[in-house]
Amino acid sequence: MTYGDDGALEKARGGDSDAFRLLVERHATAVFRLAYRMTGNETDAEDMVQETFLRAWREIRRFDGRASFGTWIHRICANRTVDFLRAKNRWQPAAAGGGPEEDHDPFRALASEEPSPERAARSAEASATLAPALASLSEIERTAFVLRHYEGLPIDEIAGVLGVQPGAARHSIFRAVKKLRRALECHA
Amino acid sequence: MIPHEKAHLNEEDLILAYYNEPGAEPARAHIAKCPECRAAAESLTRTLNMCDELPVPERSADFGRDVWNELVPQLSNYPQTKSGWHGFRVWAAAAACAMVLIAVFLAGRYSRPTATPSLMAGLSDQARERILKTAVADHLDRVQILLTEISNTSGSPEMLAADRARAQDLVQEGRLMRQSLAAQGETPTTSFLDETERFLMEAAHTPDAASAEEVAALRDRIESGSLLFKVRIVESNLRNEEQKL
Repeated sequence: MTYGDDGALEKARGGDSDAFRLLVERHATAVFRLAYRMTGNETDAEDMVQETFLRAWREIRRFDGRASFGTWIHRICANRTVDFLRAKNRWQPAAAGGGPEEDHDPFRALASEEPSPERAARSAEASATLAPALASLSEIERTAFVLRHYEGLPIDEIAGVLGVQPGAARHSIFRAVKKLRRALECHA
Repeated sequence: MIPHEKAHLNEEDLILAYYNEPGAEPARAHIAKCPECRAAAESLTRTLNMCDELPVPERSADFGRDVWNELVPQLSNYPQTKSGWHGFRVWAAAAACAMVLIAVFLAGRYSRPTATPSLMAGLSDQARERILKTAVADHLDRVQILLTEISNTSGSPEMLAADRARAQDLVQEGRLMRQSLAAQGETPTTSFLDETERFLMEAAHTPDAASAEEVAALRDRIESGSLLFKVRIVESNLRNEEQKL
C-alpha cells in the first residue's frame, strides 16, 4: 500500500519502519542536494544523508507536524551539516593551499571535478568560477547563502539553524552575496 | 530600509529585494521606477542567477533505496525517542544511566587499591575518560532536544510541564557532570555546563501558567546566547574526542 507523506509519517511515528522507508526513498535525493551544496563533497554529503535520516528516525515522535516532513528533514540536515562543517574545521584546519590537504576545502576541489559530458558545456564555466567563489565564503556565510538561495528558507529559520540572531543571519547572507558578486562580476 | 525619495538603494536593499524579503516592497517599487537602481538590480540578478548553475552530482533512481539499505542495520542502535509519559520514563532512564556512568567514573578516579575489587578495577584511565565524555555528550544531547522543543513550543501547558520536569532532571545530572569534569580539570566544558545549568534552572522554574511572554523570554535566552548552537558544537567536539580515545 502506498501512502502520502502524512500517512507514512503517521505510521513511522508508530514505529513502522516500512513507512519510514517510503519517506527515506522520497526525500533522500533532495536531502543529498542540500548537503552537497553545503559541503561541496559527495562523500560528506552522503554521510550527512545517513545521519539526517538516523536522527529523523530517532526524533520522529517529537515532530509536531506544523511543517511538512520535507521541511523538517531539510532542517535536520542543515543542522547536522553545520555541526559537521564546524567540527571538520576545528579538527582538520584547511591547508594554506596547493598542498596535499587542499581538498579539505570541498568547493575548491569541486572546481576541478570533471562534469558529465552532457552537462559539460552548460556547467563548465559555472563550476570553474562559482566553486572557488563559494569556497572563499566562511562556513556560516556559505550555509546562510545555501539555505536562502537554494532552499528558500526565511531568514528567521536560517538564524535558528545557525544558532544566531536573525540580524546576524541576514548579515551573513549580505557578506556572502557581496563576496560572490566580486568574484563573479566579470562573468555575469 | 525604506529608501528616501531621492536616494538610491544600497547593495543590501537590492539583496533583500532580490529575495523578496518581508519589508522589501518599497525597495521593489523603487527599482520599478528608478533606471539606475533597476540596472543595479539586474546586475545583481545576473550574478545570483549564475549561482543556479552550480552543478550537483546526479543520483541514480535507486539512491533512496541505497540510503535505506545502509540505514536499516543501524536503526536498532537508534531507538525512537518516545513522547508523553513513556517518553519521560525513557528520559529518566537515560538520565539514570548517565548518573551510573559518572558514579563509575568517580569510583574509579577516587578509589584506592583495596582488597575488594571495585567496579572500575579493570578500567584504564583512558577508558574512564571515555566513559565521562560519552556521559557528558549524552547529557548535552538531551539538553539539545529540550532546547529545540522549547524553541519550537507553542506554549501549551502540558508541554511546558513536561519540559520543566526534564529541565529539573537535567540540572541534577549536569551538576554531577560538572563535578566530575572539575575533578579532571576540564575548565572550558565545565564552564559551559555552568552556563547551560543557569538556563535549565530558569526553565525548571517557569511558572505553571507560563504566559506567552515568559515562553518567548525563554526562547530569547536560547537565541541571544546562541545556546543551542554552542550545545551542538560542544557535544560534537566531545564525540570526536571520545572516538579518538
